[in-house]
Amino acid sequence: MNKLAAGCVFAFALLVAAAVLPRASSQESNPTKPAPEDIPPVRTIADPYPAFNGVAVDAANGLVAMSDPNRKSLLLYDRVNGASRGASASVPLRQIVGPDTFLGMIAGILLDSEHREVYTANNDIEDTVVVMPYEASGNVKPARVFSVPHQSWGLALGQAREEIAVTVEVQNTVVFYRRQVKGVEAPIRIIRGPATGLADPHGIYWDESHDEIGVANHGNFRGVVQNTGGGCAPSAVVEDEAEAGESRPPSVTIFSAGAKGDTKPLRVIQGARTGLDWPMGVAYDPKHDTVAVANNGDSSILIFSRASNGDVAPVRILRGNHTGINHPMGVAIDPQNGEMWVSNWGDHSALAFDSGANGNATPKRVVRSAPEGTPTPGFGNPMALAYDSKRDALLVPN
Amino acid sequence: MTQPRIAVFARLANGNAAPTRVISGQKSMLGRTIHGLAYDPVHDEIVAPNALADAVLVFRAAAEGSERPVRVIQGSQTHMVTPHAVSLDLRNGEILVASLTGRRINVFRWDANGNAAPVRVIEGPRTGLGHVVGLAVDPERNLLAVANSQEILIFNRTDNGDVAPRARIAGPKTGITDEPWQMEFYKGKIFVAASNHFHDNLYNGVTLRTDAKDVPDDPWLNPTLGFVGMWNITDSGDVPPRAMIRGPYSNLLHPVGLALNPRTGEIYVSDSVRNGVLSFLVPQFFP
Repeated sequence: MNKLAAGCVFAFALLVAAAVLPRASSQESNPTKPAPEDIPPVRTIADPYPAFNGVAVDAANGLVAMSDPNRKSLLLYDRVNGASRGASASVPLRQIVGPDTFLGMIAGILLDSEHREVYTANNDIEDTVVVMPYEASGNVKPARVFSVPHQSWGLALGQAREEIAVTVEVQNTVVFYRRQVKGVEAPIRIIRGPATGLADPHGIYWDESHDEIGVANHGNFRGVVQNTGGGCAPSAVVEDEAEAGESRPPSVTIFSAGAKGDTKPLRVIQGARTGLDWPMGVAYDPKHDTVAVANNGDSSILIFSRASNGDVAPVRILRGNHTGINHPMGVAIDPQNGEMWVSNWGDHSALAFDSGANGNATPKRVVRSAPEGTPTPGFGNPMALAYDSKRDALLVPN
Repeated sequence: MTQPRIAVFARLANGNAAPTRVISGQKSMLGRTIHGLAYDPVHDEIVAPNALADAVLVFRAAAEGSERPVRVIQGSQTHMVTPHAVSLDLRNGEILVASLTGRRINVFRWDANGNAAPVRVIEGPRTGLGHVVGLAVDPERNLLAVANSQEILIFNRTDNGDVAPRARIAGPKTGITDEPWQMEFYKGKIFVAASNHFHDNLYNGVTLRTDAKDVPDDPWLNPTLGFVGMWNITDSGDVPPRAMIRGPYSNLLHPVGLALNPRTGEIYVSDSVRNGVLSFLVPQFFP
């Protein structure tokens, strides 16, 4: 349905609904007298605090920023002074939140230090990337919004090429836009095809020094030839036959930054020795010439040599009870200060480590969006439920 | 979902509660798109779709951590195309799968495993299937209800191939405007999370639509709020819900997930804007 037609249908539906569902109008305009069907919940499970998905750091401007799909906000902290004092929650410099922001179920985040802009990808179902100026705060309209394919997750900025790279999960694709993209613009190129090895791509980094990009893949794959729709998005095309879904091993695929079409990756990190387990965010560390992977499945950060290829073990693994790493979603490198940032989905924290940290290391600083120990429901757009009658329990996929 | 996982909460959990256990990790084979989930009390199993790998995963209900499914339906013979929601017909021992971009319903035996062929597939232009999500079977009347696009379709339970629905619940009196979501059945009634969000995707796959001009409004800011509605499965036409939950006191904005507990008279609802799970005590809905 095109937007005009959809708008007409929507307007018509509103008019008719107003005519035939009078209680809806009256009860919503006068909530002091609830209608019979306006039944309050007896219980609600929800997290009142921001929950961190992506993390990005800008040493030049002294910022670290996180995307928050729980409260649907962006939080900007002072890189040093934003750290939590003891167990208390940190105070952000700014929080961008509200209905005008276009922020929804956001995932990847990047900071453009030169142009002082924050980018974040609305994964589901807004299908947009939101660009905010560094100074934005509260319920403000974005500087720019541009449409992207459904289930976009990771973001990377190519400064030299003046391009934004966006991973698209269900399409097994990386799409590229010009940096100043605004509104509705077609990608200037894409990486997509059977040779690419892309399979449910998530995080992405752009290594300017070697003109490479690296992509973390979960391994879910449903083809790229007949795969025309996706996820929960309606498709104009009926896919007659599947290409046979696959559950491939997770991987990090490294491409030339100028790659397009059905291009083979330069290198692929994949196999049992890698320890990859739901790799989410990825980042390149120029100081150590390594690639850091937020390994969500086993609550670790894996560090690979940049030149790694094949079934290779990480050169370092950051994991253990002292690290505070708890189902990490994002990782970011601050080469200027020799630090690595990790954002946790398993609790309300982001951690700053020495970028050479190894093993069961303790973070240098912790940014908390809630007091330490606050329970974390961990919802991220929960779109289904089931009730386990044997265990008297609610099952929530999220 | 942000993290692919199935989180388990105590039924009486309230407020800022943590799950009691979580199924997650690479071995679980879960993906980040699960729009229908089912518990099988007969076999004590959890059934979940993985839309990103064209698969249906079956876990033991007590599964925890990075645990493999006990069965995986996946492969070219399954004819699943973006299966994003599942439902169960316990009486007849079948798993029903909503294949979104295939615009079809695949029906498997409850114990299907591997590259299994469905026992039935409802698909084709006569079916009217479009954005299919919620599925619910009435084993007494042998009917199948489908939450589809802007309507509810009723098929015969054993329909197969390109068949027209026997009834259609749609129209302004229903209150359903866009993408009704999860659906459950109880004693002749169907319960639907009528989300009424308004999803306008400008891409076909990764190709920008030629008619795409403007960035759509935020789909979750659709001023027509969603609700939980109940109909008789024998209803047809432009019929208002026979019972509903909606309004400012309900805290529902655009509900999507739905589960029933007739024993306690409760309905559980997830709401994407609230990013939470709400429990309603409505024994009057379960006479």
